[in-house]
Amino acid sequence: MNYRFLRKIKGYIMLTLSALAAVIGVMLLFAILYKVIQTGMAGLNLALFTEDEAPAFMVGEGGMRHAFVGQIVLTLAASIIGIPVGIFGGIYLSEYGSGSKLGRFISSLADVSVSIPTIIIGTFIYSLLVKPLGGFNGWAGSAALAVILIPVIMRTTEESLKLIPWQLREAALALGTPYYKVIKDIILKSALTGIFTGVSLAIARVAGETAPLLFTSFNNKYLSLNMNEPMPSLTVTIFQYAGSPYDNWIISAWASALVITVFILLTNIILKYIMKRRSF
Amino acid sequence: MENQVIEKEIEVNNLSFYYGDKLAVKNVTLDIEKNKITALIGPSGCGKTTLLRCFNRMHDLYKGNRYEGSIMFKNINILDKSVDMTNLRAEIGMVFQKPTPFPMSIFDNIAYGLRLRGIKNKTELQDRVENALKKAAIWNEVSDRLSTSAMGLSGGQQQRLSIARTLAPEPDVILFDEPTSALDPISTKKIEELMQELRGNITMLIVTHNMQQAARISDRTAFMYMGELIEDGPTDIMFTNPEKQMTEEYITGKFG
Repeated sequence: MNYRFLRKIKGYIMLTLSALAAVIGVMLLFAILYKVIQTGMAGLNLALFTEDEAPAFMVGEGGMRHAFVGQIVLTLAASIIGIPVGIFGGIYLSEYGSGSKLGRFISSLADVSVSIPTIIIGTFIYSLLVKPLGGFNGWAGSAALAVILIPVIMRTTEESLKLIPWQLREAALALGTPYYKVIKDIILKSALTGIFTGVSLAIARVAGETAPLLFTSFNNKYLSLNMNEPMPSLTVTIFQYAGSPYDNWIISAWASALVITVFILLTNIILKYIMKRRSF
Repeated sequence: MENQVIEKEIEVNNLSFYYGDKLAVKNVTLDIEKNKITALIGPSGCGKTTLLRCFNRMHDLYKGNRYEGSIMFKNINILDKSVDMTNLRAEIGMVFQKPTPFPMSIFDNIAYGLRLRGIKNKTELQDRVENALKKAAIWNEVSDRLSTSAMGLSGGQQQRLSIARTLAPEPDVILFDEPTSALDPISTKKIEELMQELRGNITMLIVTHNMQQAARISDRTAFMYMGELIEDGPTDIMFTNPEKQMTEEYITGKFG
């Protein structure tokens, strides 16, 4: 009787502690969202998306168009470099290199790379693509983001492909299909949702990065599509605006933070919806 | 002798197979009769599936595997390095334990093996897909939804679809690796009836754990134990009056 009582007490203590921890976690998230929405709404207006930076003394003028466009260009270029390398690397790890020493080595290396602080990647690209080229440039920023993308996409692709049962590969091979076609027609198609999710989450992740851009694409007050020049980015602009002494810039930073948060949130929700509704 | 094969489709001569260093099939010599059903039976791990997978060189997929001896099919040794896998596997198809629909439409599933062989003509594809689905006794169930995903079919339908896909390139031989072990009794019955209908036109080899199934559907039975072929012969003789003591003990359930 006594034992049972004690066990029940222990059970309640555990339940309370874990529930409390969960509530704290969620509350922090909601607190961040609340603050971002509440403060950001004040700065949200059409000019934010249609106008570029205006000097700080011109209160009520200017927007963040240059930063939005720069962010999109930087992320797009990073994706163009990072997605193919990541996916093909993942195919190698799962289909050709699994079991081989090289495959296992690359796979664990990718695991380690995922947790490298992104500022280190920024400084690495700085020494590789900024200093030798004589200045900050958009390519360096995209390269830094791509370096972050590649191992994440590689590992998620590998994991998604490994989930496909071996028998499906054998069934395709038993029809006389060459292995590359098995991968192209059957395996990639079966793993598409997993790969797609991995890629999108990786992009959403780099879209919110600041540190790797500080030393690479730096920032730019003006709208620029020239990747050989410093490129504006939303995250670095938010960082600079938020640290500035001007109230209107700080409000713009909040508004931009709101936009980027909603963007990433929406991406995640849409992805989950697509995942549930896939037909093949 | 009455036990002899009348017309050989495949001739296995002193075949041994190694997984790395492990000998899994030991010196098997066996004739497979043309257009009949041959069942491979034996306890788990006896090498029957390993033997089956030698016929379409499925073992080539994994490193370190090695064949010895020969498997003669249409006057060539299919274990020869120079054999083209796409051609071989068009002539010797395989159906697996679990249904393996490809992630595409029902039509594309069946057409896959045909397109692989360069058949692009639309009418020809349509005819051959319809033909294969009819032969696999699934046409009536899917004819109105050929463009929908094959993943939406039931397990039994998926297995018949897999058989239709194997039939489409018109193989001479089909290897069945426990094709009904994942299916319910009604689906199993349909697959067995289908095999009966194909008999006479296609040589079939089936690995099965189900002794009644072997007795029901096969013309010849081969009993394997510990990688060795113990005995083979006409199914009725194997099940009523086998030569070897061990065969009788396995069939009557004394071990296994």
